[in-house]
Amino acid sequence: MAVASSNLSAVKKKRRFDLAKPTGISLVVVAMLPLVIMPLLSIFIFGFSKGPSHFLEALVNPAAIFSLKLSLITSSVATVCNVVFGVLAAWVMTKYEFRGASALMIVISLPTAIPTAVAGFALLLLWGPFGLLGQFLEATDWQIMFTTAAIILANIFVTFPLAFGTIQPALENFDTNLEDAAETMGASRWQAFRYVVLPSLRTAIITGALLTFARSIGEFGSTIMVSGNMMMKTQTAPLYIYARYNDGDVEAANAIAIVLAIISFAIFSLIMIFRKRLER
Amino acid sequence: MARPMVMTLFPETQAFAQRSTQAQPALSVRNLTKRFGNEIVLNDVSFNVAEGESLVLLGPSGSGKSTTLRIIAGLETPDSGEVVLHEREIEHLRARDRNVGVIFQNYALFPEMTVAENIGFGLKIRGVKARKRAEVVDRLLEMINLNDQRDKKPRHLSGGQQQRVAIARALAYEPEVLLFDESFSALDPHTRVGLRREIRQLLRRLRVPALFITHDQEEAMELGDHIAILNKGRLEQIGTPQEIYNDPQTEFVATFLGSANVLKGEWQDGLIRLDHGYFVVPPHEAFDIPIDDGERVKIIFRPEDVLLSTMLGVAESPYHLGEGEVTEVKFTGATEAVTIRLLNSPLRPSRPQLVTSISEHTEAKAKECFVKTLRSKWDARRVRLAPGNRVSIGLKAHKLLRGDTE
Ligand SMILES: Nc1ncnc2c1ncn2[C@@H]1O[C@H](COP(=O)(O)OP(=O)(O)O)[C@@H](O)[C@H]1O
Ligand SMILES: [Mg+2]
Repeated sequence: MAVASSNLSAVKKKRRFDLAKPTGISLVVVAMLPLVIMPLLSIFIFGFSKGPSHFLEALVNPAAIFSLKLSLITSSVATVCNVVFGVLAAWVMTKYEFRGASALMIVISLPTAIPTAVAGFALLLLWGPFGLLGQFLEATDWQIMFTTAAIILANIFVTFPLAFGTIQPALENFDTNLEDAAETMGASRWQAFRYVVLPSLRTAIITGALLTFARSIGEFGSTIMVSGNMMMKTQTAPLYIYARYNDGDVEAANAIAIVLAIISFAIFSLIMIFRKRLER
Repeated sequence: MARPMVMTLFPETQAFAQRSTQAQPALSVRNLTKRFGNEIVLNDVSFNVAEGESLVLLGPSGSGKSTTLRIIAGLETPDSGEVVLHEREIEHLRARDRNVGVIFQNYALFPEMTVAENIGFGLKIRGVKARKRAEVVDRLLEMINLNDQRDKKPRHLSGGQQQRVAIARALAYEPEVLLFDESFSALDPHTRVGLRREIRQLLRRLRVPALFITHDQEEAMELGDHIAILNKGRLEQIGTPQEIYNDPQTEFVATFLGSANVLKGEWQDGLIRLDHGYFVVPPHEAFDIPIDDGERVKIIFRPEDVLLSTMLGVAESPYHLGEGEVTEVKFTGATEAVTIRLLNSPLRPSRPQLVTSISEHTEAKAKECFVKTLRSKWDARRVRLAPGNRVSIGLKAHKLLRGDTE
C-alpha cells in the first residue's frame, strides 16, 4: 500500500507543470475580490478614513445606540426561544414515532425556504389590524405589530429551524445506552435528561444558538415589514443603516455597519470553532 | 458394574444443588416470554441466582441474552413472566426503582462527567450529601485502583480502566444484583483475563449476586458458578460448568460449550445405524421409555474422551464404539489431535447377529464418517499413531440422546 501511494506521488511530481491549478486559484480570488473582499474592506476603509473620532461620534448617537441595543435584545430573545423550542422539537422528533412525523419535520424546516419579506408580510396579515388574530387585538389595548414583539416574532420565524437543525442530529447520534444507564442508577427521565443528555448536547446547543443569533442580528426583510421602522422605537441596527443611508448620512450608516460586521465576524469565528468540536 | 460409568454429576455439585434449592434465591426469573413483532425472542425462560453466586447466561448472538438482562433491569417489559429480586416482585417496577447495577457492553460511562462524578452519580440521584458521597467515591476509587484518574473524563481512560469505573459506578449505590452485558468483549485478551480474575475475587468478597452475559465459552467457564445455555430464546440447560461440560443434555449444549463429535443415526434391531451407513453397538444405557426401531438417536462425545488403542477389538474403555483408520495427526504441543475415519468392522463377538445385519450393499453405500479425538502428549508418546494406522475407538464418556432436535 505504502509503495503504491509513493509511486503515485512520484507520478504526480513527474507530471508536466499543470496550468489549470494556478489559473483556477487566481480565478476564485479575482472573483472574490469585487464580490466579497473589497465590499467588506471598503466599510472599514471608508469608516475610518476621517479618523477614529468621526467614527466614534457617529456611534454614540442615541438613535444608533438604541438600534444596536434593540437588535441585540430582540436577537437574544429570539435565540432563547428557538433554542428551547429546538431542544423540545428535537426530542419529540427523535424519541417518538407518530403519524405525521415527516409532515411535521417539513413544517419545522420550512421557514428557511421562505423569503424574509414574505415572512414579514405573512405576520402582518396575521397580527395586523385586519388580520386573522390581529382583529381581536384591535379591541384591546394590546398591539403586536410595529412593536418590539413584532421584531422578535419575525426573528423567531426566519430563524426557526436553525437551532433545531443542529440539535436534532446530535440527539439522534446520542447513545441511548447512557440514558438507560442513568435510569438503572435511579435517575428519573428528567434527571437523565438534565445530567446526561443535556451536557452532551451542549456544543450542538451553543452552535445552534450562535447560528440563530447571527441570522437574527442581521435580519432586514421581515423586520422592515413588521416593525414600522420607527427611530428610537422599533428601528433595529440594519434598519438604522438603511434609514441613515437614505437620509444621506453615509457616515452614520457606516459606523453601525462596522459594528455589525465585527459582531458577525466574532460570531462566525465562534461558530467555526464549535462546528469543529461538533464533528468530533 | 452394570452400566458404564458415564461422567455425570460431581458429588459436590449435587450438594450445592440441594443447598441452592433450599435457600431463597437472590434473583429469580420465572417463565419469561418476550416477542418483538412476530419473533419470539424469549420462550419461557426461568432461572435462579443464589445469594453471592454468579450465573453466566451463555448463548450465540441473537439468542436473547441482552433482552433477558434488559427485562431484569427494567429497560424492557416482558410479555409474560416474573422477575423476583430478594423476594420482591419487580417486573412491574420502573428501572430506577429496582436497585440493580448494570455494566453495559460499551460501559455507557457518562462522557461529560469525570470518573469521580460517574461513580458518584447513583448516590447524587439518591440525594446523598456531597461529603458522604465523596467518601464512598474515594473508597471505590481505591478499590479499583484509579485514584489518580479521578478527575479525568472517561474517554481518556483505557478500555480496562473504563470497565473498572463502570463496575465501581454500579457498586456505589449497593445494588441488589449486578448485571454484566458482554462486558469483556471489547477488551484485548490480555486485559480481559486479568480483569475477569479481579472481578471474580471482588464478587466473592462482596457477595453480590451477579448475572454475566456472554457468547464466549471460556469466559463462561471462568466466571460462572453456574452456567445457563440460551439458544434461540430457550434455556437449554443450567448447571455448574462441570455439569454442562460433562453432561450436556442437548446437542446444542455439547457443541456450543467445547467441541464434540455428534454421531446421528437411528435405532435398528438393537443397534444404531448411523446416517453414514455404518452400524454401531449402542452403549449399555437403558432409556426410561423403551425405544422403537426407526427412532432417531445421537451419540455425543468429546474428542478428549476418546481412547485410541492399536489392539483391535479390545475395549479399554467403558464403551467400545468401533474401529477406525487414522487419517490425520496434528501435534499442537500439550495435545495431539487425531482424526479417525470410522470403519465398519469388526463387531462385538457378544452380538453375533450383527454380522448378518450388515450387507455388502450398505457398506458400499456408506459415506465416510470422521471422529475428532484429542490425546495428551504422553498418550501420544506411548502409542504412536500415523495416518493409515488402524485403531480401536473406545469412549471414556459419552452421551446418548433420543430425538433429532438440536
Ligand atoms: N428493540 C428490539 N426490537 C426488535 N427486535 C429486537 C429488539 N431487541 C432485540 N431484538 C431482537 O431480539 C433477538 C435477541 O436479541 P438480543 O437479546 O440482543 O440477543 P443477544 O444479546 O443474545 O445477542 C435478536 O434477533 C434481535 O434482533
Ligand atoms: Mg447482546
